[in-house]
Amino acid sequence: MRMAAWLYLFLAFGFIYLPVGTLVLFSFQEGTLPVPPFNGPSLGWYADVLSDDDVTDALLHSLLVAIGSSATAVLFGFLAAYGLARHVLPGSALMRVLLIAPLTVSYLIVGLGLLIVLNRTGVGLSLITAGIGHVVINLPLAFAIIYASMGAQHENAERAARDLGASEAKVVLLVTAPMLAPALAAAFFLSVTLSWDEFIIAFLLTRFDITLPVEIWSMLRSGLSPRLNAIGSVVFLISVTAVLMLEFTVLRRRRS
Amino acid sequence: MTASVRLEALNHWFGTFHALQDISLEINAGEYVTLLGPSGCGKTTLLSVLGGFIDPSQGTVFIGHADMTRVPPAKRPTTTMFQDYALFPHMNLRDNVAFGLRMAGVAKAERYRKADEKLDLVGLKADGAKRPHELSGGQRQRVALARALAVEPEVLLLDEPLGALDLKLRRAMQDELKDIQRQVGTTFVHVTHDQEEAMAISDRIVVMNAGRIEDQGPPSRIYREPASLFAADFMGEMNHIPAEVEASVAHTALATLPVATLPQGAATVCIRPEEIRQDGEGLALGQATVREATFFGTFTRAHVTPVSAPEMVLVAHLPPTDLPKPGAVLHLSVLPEDIRVFMKEIA
Repeated sequence: MRMAAWLYLFLAFGFIYLPVGTLVLFSFQEGTLPVPPFNGPSLGWYADVLSDDDVTDALLHSLLVAIGSSATAVLFGFLAAYGLARHVLPGSALMRVLLIAPLTVSYLIVGLGLLIVLNRTGVGLSLITAGIGHVVINLPLAFAIIYASMGAQHENAERAARDLGASEAKVVLLVTAPMLAPALAAAFFLSVTLSWDEFIIAFLLTRFDITLPVEIWSMLRSGLSPRLNAIGSVVFLISVTAVLMLEFTVLRRRRS
Repeated sequence: MTASVRLEALNHWFGTFHALQDISLEINAGEYVTLLGPSGCGKTTLLSVLGGFIDPSQGTVFIGHADMTRVPPAKRPTTTMFQDYALFPHMNLRDNVAFGLRMAGVAKAERYRKADEKLDLVGLKADGAKRPHELSGGQRQRVALARALAVEPEVLLLDEPLGALDLKLRRAMQDELKDIQRQVGTTFVHVTHDQEEAMAISDRIVVMNAGRIEDQGPPSRIYREPASLFAADFMGEMNHIPAEVEASVAHTALATLPVATLPQGAATVCIRPEEIRQDGEGLALGQATVREATFFGTFTRAHVTPVSAPEMVLVAHLPPTDLPKPGAVLHLSVLPEDIRVFMKEIA
């Protein structure tokens, strides 16, 4: 029985991590095909990838879009959550629903919709338009996370701050936002991971400057190569970093 | 810094609920006043009106002779100490205490000096660098007090500040609050539902019930000569004896007692348990049988049934040396000045 449990655990984690493990393993392949047998290890493909300007540019673009769109989504999400949690507004239930609803819309639809609107208005495609697309998909998430953590004890601290002479802006800046720091960080890092490896919206809404997933896709068309494994491993590493940051901030909140 | 407070004809409605009904109250500068009453009596609403968190539907709030009725909390010479302390969890104690001064634009060195002074006042001088979550409940309560006092308010409002503390700590903090109030001289308005707490710290108690002021005065006066049956009951245990008043006597099942001139009709005679005597002094209340008696340290608490009214149960506090057996017969009496009579309210 105990053995079966361990076997189940092993299989489950194997199912989840075997593809990623294989990808990372064959990024160290000595040779031109990312298939067994494994020869190496070698860092040659990493050197190749990191000296390719197209790849490093795309990597920087991705980081830029991820950080910029996440910061924007968190800012808007925070403002919306503060407004809806702290003030009695007409139709606030409907507004909450409308803010979270885009979560249910497929990325393809969001991307196509934005593409049509941008074409009609004559705004050229760029990293900024891809960033706007990512704000659209990350805002509901950021709003939901931040809104859920705005508790009554925060409200009392805000009341105390007002009582001690703080203006509304200072209450938000010095009391509300710092108290919500764990939720803000969680929303930010989650948005970063989602934006970082998002493909379809970035594919539809960029033109000359492209993000890393779009670059990988264009490279895929010329066949499998350990280069792709190396890029994939870099993408994975950065995602893991963001997730660890998220985990760290959320865990820290639980402890205190 | 200290100021007087005057409330004139305050009324407040929450929807159709009449939460404050014609409240008029004067509080002297430097006075320690307690608003005492059960949950929902309007005491916290009244405090919120004083602090500026609730705009009263009608009436005026004067603080130090200035009309403050529509002035927001930030602009009032009041600070509130909240029930859950409402400390800022992301700031250390010194920054918490200095927050109000920071908002007032006081320079850093000066506000830290004042914050340390206030932390010293509440006995937390060495803990300025700690965060609120490292403190016990009693310590948080002290920080909240220091933070509220740091801006040198003219009136400090305390919303059940000791409610979350255990009994022993609560009693210790009462003495400390009273002591600090004497040192700083600020007017304190304190909300509580604990009548012992109110008696321990107040210069004056304001007893509230259902949105009205039932009675107000020094603790001993309210305890000994309450203005209403509600105030009498709320201030401590009370024996109720149904009576019929007729030409300055009250007929009860126990005895006919002389009373001051009162209107005729149904009334309630009230006697505190500790005022029921066995030494025969004063007015005789007849014989009573002990149902049970329990030793309480400083007194013996006995439930007795008067022989002339077998359906009635009275509580009497006897000397601690005296522990009668159930069934024992006592001769009860009461001093004339210890009797209070309240006419039955015509419903």
